[in-house]
Amino acid sequence: MRKSLVAITIAAAAVPMLIGVAGLPRPGDPSAAVHTHVAARYIAEGAHETGADNLVTGVLLNYRGFDTFGEVMIIFAALAAVMAVLPRGATGLPGAGAASGIPISPIVAFIIRLTAPFIAAFGAFVIFKGHVSPGGGFQGGVILGALLMMLSLVLGRGVDRPLIPARSARWLQAAAPLAFFAVGVLGLGLTGAVLGYPAEPGRELLRELMMIFLEIGIGVGGGAIILGLFLETRGE
Amino acid sequence: MAALWGNIDYAAFVVLFCIGLYIIIAKQNLIKKLLGLNIMETAVFAFVVTSGMVDGGTAPIVGPGMSGPFASPLPHAMVLTGIVVAVSITALALCLIIEIYRQCGTLEADELKGAE
Repeated sequence: MRKSLVAITIAAAAVPMLIGVAGLPRPGDPSAAVHTHVAARYIAEGAHETGADNLVTGVLLNYRGFDTFGEVMIIFAALAAVMAVLPRGATGLPGAGAASGIPISPIVAFIIRLTAPFIAAFGAFVIFKGHVSPGGGFQGGVILGALLMMLSLVLGRGVDRPLIPARSARWLQAAAPLAFFAVGVLGLGLTGAVLGYPAEPGRELLRELMMIFLEIGIGVGGGAIILGLFLETRGE
Repeated sequence: MAALWGNIDYAAFVVLFCIGLYIIIAKQNLIKKLLGLNIMETAVFAFVVTSGMVDGGTAPIVGPGMSGPFASPLPHAMVLTGIVVAVSITALALCLIIEIYRQCGTLEADELKGAE
């Protein structure tokens, strides 16, 4: 009875949404507002103005750099909130078995050790080439984070032997905001605007280095934060 | 109706959104509610990314050897931001659920109403 009532209410709420999407431009219509507003300029001038062939990275780090700064602060704040919610040193869910108590299968451990260098190389490639090819800091950071999660199953298990020592883990988790802070201050000194990039000819290399530095910060910070979230929820 | 048929992609995302909303309201288990929230988020991301598509377009990566038309890069960047926020929400919600289970011993919303 209650579920059918919910279904009827949601079906009624879907009708205005369907009417709304029926009035939108057809997906793929080249004359839609999404292609003619700022996007046309981004595509025409973006590679020249930002120095990033991958326009998504150009938009993220250059045109909308403040957005991305807020984004890395959000995921950092999420980790801080998770650490505040879960008490330190408590084991995971009751009855779930202590994370470090059950030995892992030797086959799984061998496969993880075998594939780890290749995954690390792939993650580093995605981070370093993120401004000219598909990829970027967040994508590479997720790959690194997944690798660290896998490695934490076989290496450095338990509270007393963490995969990353607690002191360096704090700095790695803050890498993305710190990188944004450093590049923002550098841009302030070079161009007079926070997160400004030098655009005049002859300084493209500096601009590219600033973007790669940001990408590394986002990637390392993202990976460390994902590992931190994983370890916190597991109760370490 | 013909206009809706032309935007059948968007209509599919509306259906997906409503499925997520139904799960959040109708299901009692907190994990299932979180899954419903993630389905809703996925529907919104797919909606925004689809709006950036262009007929015969490729990924917005310009450079030597690449020729247009290119998909709009702005929705991609927005959705990347949105995904990071969604991950943060999911992580924090999971931790709250773990703590609720540790304190109350149940994840069913109707049982939690009685357990103070």
